Amino acid sequence: MKAKKLSLVSSLVITLAAVLVVLSLFFPWWQMIFFAPQYPEGLNIIVYPNKLEGEIDIVNGLNHYIGMENFSEENFPELAYLSYLVIGLAALTLLTAILRKKAVLYGLIGLFIIGGGLGVWDLTRALRKFGTNLSPTAPIKIDPFVPPLLGHNTVANFVTESVLGYGAYFLIAAFILLLIPLWKDRTR
Amino acid sequence: MKKWIPIASGLLAGFVAATISFADFSNSTNNQVASSTTKSDAEKVYVPFGEKDDYYLFASGGHSGQMFIYGVPSMRHIRTVPVFSPDSATGYGFDEHSKKLLGDYTWGDLHHPAFSETNGDYDGKYMFATDVGNSRAAAMDLETFTVKDIINVPNTSGPHCAAFVTQNTEYMFLPTRFAVPIGSEYKSLDDYSDQYRGVMSAVTFDQNKDKLNIAYQVALPPWSYDLSDAGKKSSADWAVMTTYNTEEATTNLEINASQADRDFIVLFNWKELVKMVADGQYDEVTGQKMIFPEKHKGGIYLVPVAKSPHGVDVTPDGKHFIASGKLAPSMTVFSFEKAFEAIEKQDFAGERNGIPIINYDSIMEREVNPENALGPLHTQFDDKGMAYTTMFISSEIVKWDPKTGETLDRVPVQYSPGHSVAAEGDTVAPDGKWLIALNKIAKDSYLSVGPSHPESMQLIDISGKMKVIQSSPVNPEPHYAQIIKADKIKTIEVYPKDENNKLATYKQDQARIERNGNEVHVYGIAMRSKFIFDAKAKRPDVIEVNQGDKVFIHLTNTDFDEDITHGFAINSYNLNIEVQPGQTNTIEFTADKAGTFPLYCTNFCSALHQEMTGYFLVKPNK
Ligand SMILES: [Cu+2]
Repeated sequence: MKAKKLSLVSSLVITLAAVLVVLSLFFPWWQMIFFAPQYPEGLNIIVYPNKLEGEIDIVNGLNHYIGMENFSEENFPELAYLSYLVIGLAALTLLTAILRKKAVLYGLIGLFIIGGGLGVWDLTRALRKFGTNLSPTAPIKIDPFVPPLLGHNTVANFVTESVLGYGAYFLIAAFILLLIPLWKDRTR
Repeated sequence: MKKWIPIASGLLAGFVAATISFADFSNSTNNQVASSTTKSDAEKVYVPFGEKDDYYLFASGGHSGQMFIYGVPSMRHIRTVPVFSPDSATGYGFDEHSKKLLGDYTWGDLHHPAFSETNGDYDGKYMFATDVGNSRAAAMDLETFTVKDIINVPNTSGPHCAAFVTQNTEYMFLPTRFAVPIGSEYKSLDDYSDQYRGVMSAVTFDQNKDKLNIAYQVALPPWSYDLSDAGKKSSADWAVMTTYNTEEATTNLEINASQADRDFIVLFNWKELVKMVADGQYDEVTGQKMIFPEKHKGGIYLVPVAKSPHGVDVTPDGKHFIASGKLAPSMTVFSFEKAFEAIEKQDFAGERNGIPIINYDSIMEREVNPENALGPLHTQFDDKGMAYTTMFISSEIVKWDPKTGETLDRVPVQYSPGHSVAAEGDTVAPDGKWLIALNKIAKDSYLSVGPSHPESMQLIDISGKMKVIQSSPVNPEPHYAQIIKADKIKTIEVYPKDENNKLATYKQDQARIERNGNEVHVYGIAMRSKFIFDAKAKRPDVIEVNQGDKVFIHLTNTDFDEDITHGFAINSYNLNIEVQPGQTNTIEFTADKAGTFPLYCTNFCSALHQEMTGYFLVKPNK
């Protein structure tokens, strides 16, 4: 039996997903906010797919007291190529919309799952590296820790809050959009 | 059946239910108004933690040479900014820039502060002040609350009658309190009337280069010039200042300068003076363009006034100026319009020292003499144009109507107010909220600290019937103050990186020590919580020089973080500077003492501030 092509509406939905993927490039994906008694306004580390923003220098300056390595773009080689991967993913999504083949869509969804999984793994790895690889000569000794990917954590006088950025939400929305054609064009 | 009807009606029902449950239909605005009128005095001045004052008060610090910054209405002292005197707490007078500004002077007598103005209203950019002690003027930047420039004013001694700025800060005028010979040369006091002059300087401020400059000077008669104000709106091209000692007494002024029934207000058109200078109508003396009024005619007039006046203040509408009698118990209201007319018609009653005297009766609107009010000194205004005059001798503030002369209200203050300051009370648009009496005598107002008492500032609510609602002790000695709406001042928190500054070091690995003959230049970094002077050295926080070397330390604070200021001091070397967040500051000195001298951060910066130290090693000669 010859597979039926995905409907035009599904194709449009997948196109929209491609647009969201591209859009996510221009927004932060993930953010960690540090609060302390003397920093009630919070210090930010904002992760874009291609750069870091926020009060990185100040956070680094404070982190040296517990012997944490500096956050810097050099320490995250991913930032150099991540945006190309994202553009590639967007191109594949657009291609799927044009081909309108269910099998291709399955493949794309698979790619999304693998990519997302890799991203989460990579970030967790980075957080573990920074939190556990503390200098033995640091003036303030604390137990190694792993800041959570999402949610609160307390280290010394700092409470950190990790949240997803708009970019991440766009990616999640794109993923959900990819699932819609599966339901819409289900074989009746 | 239309499906959207149940959906829409469901939504509507939800909104209605939510509105009924959560919306507050009571009129909250009215509630607030009602509660503010019933606030107690304590509630009016209480600014809870987390909230800030509505106004800044800049009070001159007199012979402390400093400026005191207070919050209004809380009357909390926020900051002392050194201007004419060194201050080890901020390294003022120690680092290169401020050391050059102060020169050899170790004190100043800061008198009348004046905000920069745009269209006759404070613009919150700069604060100017004068030094009666050593004849200087200063400009303070209100982004950083630091002094950018100080100028020595030649031919003048004690610019007490200043500072006042024209309505777009074109000029700041500095008339002198003491007459001296041109160039302050030696001349016998027997030749006072011929050889001495009361020189007034027209000073400009270049806001791009942060530079004060003397545009021209005027060799006024050898009288004492006391206070002044610039015109506003229709009188914007004009300015007024009071004089005393038109008797030209040279000794025992208390008696001898109080003899004549009349002294003068000098009324001058600064635009005309600028034009005269442009037309070459001046003599070049001591390197200054000097207008001699008896020779270079025009632009300057005298207005007779009750003897020994102190303040002269222009009403917010710019139509009148009010002289306060000091020794005559009255305020005199003059009309600018009538003065212009009299000048036009040459309605003069002779001249003094070559300057035409305008006919008093032609331009005087009214003499105001509130019953038993003695020693009127200085007048401020509220939003309705009502005048508030300090009475030094009868220790009170009198509120009166310049249009009718009617006394409206009066309140006793403790004691002997010199100036008072109302919220933006000398601008074209006073706020009409607060008035602060700057009292010379506090007597037993506060806990005793021995025979010398602090001065006192009393906060008066002028929104209704005048009432003193707060009293704050203050260091000697505020002469005049200015109150500005807090939101007009836009400070910076961190100095921006300046990649063009060759003295700045932002990267740790670039901290270095360079030797050039017997000059040693240190390009160092201060950061939480260490110094890095030489990144490649075995001990990066050590500076080693030879005895007699000239040492330049260019220190950059690389903590670009709010309120993280570092200090730098070397034990026993009598020096200390501060580097504010992001700032690069230089200190220069000769290592004349051989030995071992610990250096340390003087401004508490972090939990490991105590560890922020190093050594300054000076190898002895031979
Ligand atoms: Cu420090």
